[in-house]
This record gives sequence, structure tokens and C-alpha cells, in this order.
Amino acid sequence: MMHIDPQLQRVLDGDLPSDDLTPLQREQSAALQQAARLLAEAPVGSVLARVMAEVRRPPLRLGQRVAQWLTERHAVTIAVRPIWSLALAAALAAIAVIPARGPGPQLGEQEGIAQFVGRFPGARSVEVVGSFTDWRPGAVVLRDDDHDGIWRATIVLPVGEHEYMFVVDGERWVADPLAGRYVDDGFGRQNALLFVRPLAR
Amino acid sequence: MTARRLVAFLLAASSPLAAQSGFARLAGRVPPPALSAIDSILVAAHREGLPTEPLIEKAFEGGAKGVAPDKIVLAVSTSAGQLRVARALLREAGESQPTDPAEVTAVAAALSRGLSPELVGELTAVLPGEPTGPALHAVADLVGHRFAEDSSVDLIVAAAQSGLRGLRFLDVAAAAVQELQRGRSHAAALAHVKSLLPNVPPPPRPAPATVSRARRPQPGPDHP
Amino acid sequence: MIGAGVLSATGREPTDGEVVAQVLAGDAEAFGIVIRRYEAGLLRYATRMLGYPDAAADAVAEGLVRAYRHLATCRDPGRLKSWLYRIVGNRCRSHLARRSTSDLSLDDAPPIADPQDSEAAAERAEQLAQVERALDRLSPEKREAFLLKHVEGMSYEEMAAVTGERIPTLKMRVHRARAALLEALKEYE
Repeated sequence: MMHIDPQLQRVLDGDLPSDDLTPLQREQSAALQQAARLLAEAPVGSVLARVMAEVRRPPLRLGQRVAQWLTERHAVTIAVRPIWSLALAAALAAIAVIPARGPGPQLGEQEGIAQFVGRFPGARSVEVVGSFTDWRPGAVVLRDDDHDGIWRATIVLPVGEHEYMFVVDGERWVADPLAGRYVDDGFGRQNALLFVRPLAR
Repeated sequence: MTARRLVAFLLAASSPLAAQSGFARLAGRVPPPALSAIDSILVAAHREGLPTEPLIEKAFEGGAKGVAPDKIVLAVSTSAGQLRVARALLREAGESQPTDPAEVTAVAAALSRGLSPELVGELTAVLPGEPTGPALHAVADLVGHRFAEDSSVDLIVAAAQSGLRGLRFLDVAAAAVQELQRGRSHAAALAHVKSLLPNVPPPPRPAPATVSRARRPQPGPDHP
Repeated sequence: MIGAGVLSATGREPTDGEVVAQVLAGDAEAFGIVIRRYEAGLLRYATRMLGYPDAAADAVAEGLVRAYRHLATCRDPGRLKSWLYRIVGNRCRSHLARRSTSDLSLDDAPPIADPQDSEAAAERAEQLAQVERALDRLSPEKREAFLLKHVEGMSYEEMAAVTGERIPTLKMRVHRARAALLEALKEYE
């Protein structure tokens, strides 16, 4: 395979200035930039009308919604507080899920909503373990109902700062790549950091 | 026994009780070889008036992640050290005593994201009596996106001086990162957001109707 | 005009967060702003991933409809772009996984330069064709990494949000993609 000098790689990554490139490196850089410029030419066409036609499609009537709900699975939302985590593990089967078409959950003033999304194609299970579960596994389980590899959960959490990781297939601890904010966990890994805001009414 | 001696006696007696409570919670969650050492750290932290809940949580975390006992002990010890540093910084910045445990915990978390102690002092001085955790995390967010630390502090200080507080600092940081992603340089992104203060848009809130409801589990007999 | 309410209320171009909030509040028409803002980039990305404009249009349309239906799960509307690219990227991967070489039809074949085109346009079309052939020789992961980095101009952090991969992994893919692309381009010279 063609060799690209590590220095050039760093220049192309934006980590180094391009002042000190050799003639060969400049040639390689120019070739890649030319390729990118050609590929950047936007194709003609638009999907606006097609997508908006779907967006504007009238919502299903009540009977159709009920029928659809009966045949669909729904994301589970659970209110989790650290002090409940022991009881939660035992009571998980007793949680009732109501379809999300009525009024929203009655949240306390110091509670908000946190949404977790992770891409783990091929995973058998994905859960969130963190400070809000007392670092107990099994309390917050994500779902991938349409099997596209995207796992999701939406839960109520106390307002403030929380640390967490995803646990894939019960054994692989993964920092949430979408978190944008991380802290060293002191064990050689990084926890994602989440700030939950109050949901004002 | 006089009232003063009674109070002193009760305070002294509460220390081992607090430690016993921590020990009881750790059993079964932390490898047995680590229990005694962690308990010693908890007792010492409690005596110093440091918050112990973050230390217990760190021990739980290590147990859950399958970390070796000696490394759990080291992490808990390190966390206790960070709490000490955080409290000292808050006291130097003029915070009243005893320092709020939640604030000590928040500052320790921000320090663990790599911010310099001097920065903590500067932000605390600008926000006397206010929680500094969100401001510190906002600066850490900016630094994480390669904004210079001093410029990041400058922006958050400007936000504070324009009247913003609490989680709004995170909105300020998010707005600067968004400008960066739109193609502005770091300097231009900071300048643009500074020009918007205090009217930096908050993030949209999730629509309540899209969140499923659930019946909350009843707390068990061991917990209030 | 789609999303006129949002524009006139703020007097400036609405942010992604404002548009998302408007849509979630019930203004479906405001989603047109999202489409107009991002469809060109998404179509370009999908076309380069899949090789054919029609398949790319399908992937982008499917992805945007999906994004509309699941907009409430976009955790950070400030990162709407990364989220959209992630959804469309998944659609592209699904298309690639379903495609076999026997599915190729003449209707899907890349357009041939029209002899009526000017010489400069024809030369540019030929250069683009060479680059496209070279790109097609990369694995889907390397192709995606190069496109997101050098054509869509994303940072490694944004690429991590789109792909779900860690930054060191993405850097390695981009570095190898550059080398592989140069190798392929050299063979077409």
C-alpha cells in the first residue's frame, strides 16, 4: 500500500501546520485535496417534496393507533433514584408502561428527562450503569425494537450531574460516544458525564 | 452531663456509626480484600468533614466494573484526595465553613476533568455564594473542544457578569461549540457567543408527551 | 413558506435547536428547514457511499423520514447534523448489505459524459469518475471515514457521534483510507 508519512497524516488531521512538508508530501496532500474537492461536488436533486409528503401524512385515527400500539413494542421509561435501586431490581417486573399519547409523566421540580442512544449492531443487550443506579447493572435497559443496531432508553432522573457507561452484552463497558463530556473513572477508563435539567411545566 | 458535653459526645459517637453504615453498604458490592482499607478511608474522610457518598459510589463503581481490590482502594483514596483539594480551594476562595458537600463534590469532579486549581479559585471568586460546579463543567466542556483555558474562563466569567447562573453556563459552552461546528474559528466562536450574552438560547426540552410513563417502584424496607 | 413562523419570530436564521423545538411542539412544516439545511450534504455523502444517485436519494429520504419520526430521541439538538448523518449512514449500510453485484442494472449505472459537454467539463467528469472508482475500492468503513473527514469536513468528535466509533479507531481508518485512495488513484493515472 502507498505509504503516507505520519507527519503528513498529522498535517491532514489539522494537528500540525503545513509549512514543513517535503515535495512528495505536498504532492500527496494535493492529490487527496483534489479528490476531496471533486467528491464534494453536490449531486443535483432534492428529497424535500418526498420527505414532506410523508411528514404531512395525516396521523392515524384512534382505532388505528390502538391497533398499531397493540402490535408494537414500546420503550420502557422508569424513574430511578439511587436509593430505590435495590428495590427496583426486585420490582422491575411490576412496572406498568402506558403508551406515550396521553399527558406526560408528573415530574418533581428537581427531576428531568435523560435520553440514551447508542449504536451497537449485533449486540444482544445494552444497558446503562451509573451513579444514578448506584452502579448496579440491570436497572436501565436500552431497547432496539427495529433491530437497526440503534439502542435507546428515556428515563426520569434527578436534576444535576450523573456519571455512567454503557454495558454491552453484560460484560463490555463502553463510554457513550455521544456524551461529549467525559471524566476519568480512576480505573483506566472514562465515564460519560450527563447534566439533567428540570423539566419546567 | 452538660448540654455541650452531650453534643460533643453525640458527635463523637456518630463517627463510628456513620462508618458502620458505609461498611454495611459496601459488603457484597466490593471485593472483601478491599473492604477494610476502604472503610478506613471512609472513617478518616468522615472525621475530616468530607462528603463520603462520592467515595462509597466510587467503591461501588469499582466493584461493578470488576476492578482488582487494590485498584479500587487506590481510586477511593485518590477520590478522597480530590475532595480534600476541592474543599481547600473553596475555602481559599472565601467559601463559608463548613463547605457545602455538594459543592465540594462538584468541584472535585470538575478538577478530575483536568482543570487547573487556579481556575477554580478564579471562578469561585466571581460567583461568591453560588454553586460553581456548572461553571467549571462549562469551562471543561470548552477546553475539551480545544478552546484555550483562559479564553474559556473569560467567556464563562462574562456570562456570570451578564447575570447567567447554574446550568445556563452549559448553554453558553454549548453555543460556542456549536459555532465551532458551523465553521467559525475558536476565537470567532467565543467572540460571537460573548456578543449574544445573556441571550444565549437554551436547548429545547424533550416534549413530555413522548416520554412513556411508568409506575415507580416502592422503596424497600432498607431505604427511606 | 416552510418554517416561516420560526424565521419571523427570531429575525434571524433559527438554530437547529430552535427548529427541533418547533417541530416537537407540533409544527411539522418546520422540518422542511432541516431538510433544506442538510439534504445537499446528506445526498453527497450517500451518493459517494453507495455510488448511485437513485439509491442515495432513497437512503436520504428514508433517513430523514426516520429522523422526523424519532426527533424526540435526538438527545442534543445542537448536534442535529451528526445525528442525521448517523441515521443516513445506517441506511447506506443497510443498502450496501442488501446489494449484490447481480443487482446492478443499466438504469443504475453512473451517467456517461454527454459528448455535447465542453472539453473542460468532460475532463472534470473523467477525473471525478477516476476518483469515484478509487473510492469504490475502499472498504465501506474506510470510504465512510474519508468522506466524513475530507468531504463533509467533520471533526473526529463529530465523526465519533456519527459512527459510534472511538476517535483513535476513526483516525486509523482515515489514515489508511488516505493511503488506499492514493494507491488506487496512482493505478488509474
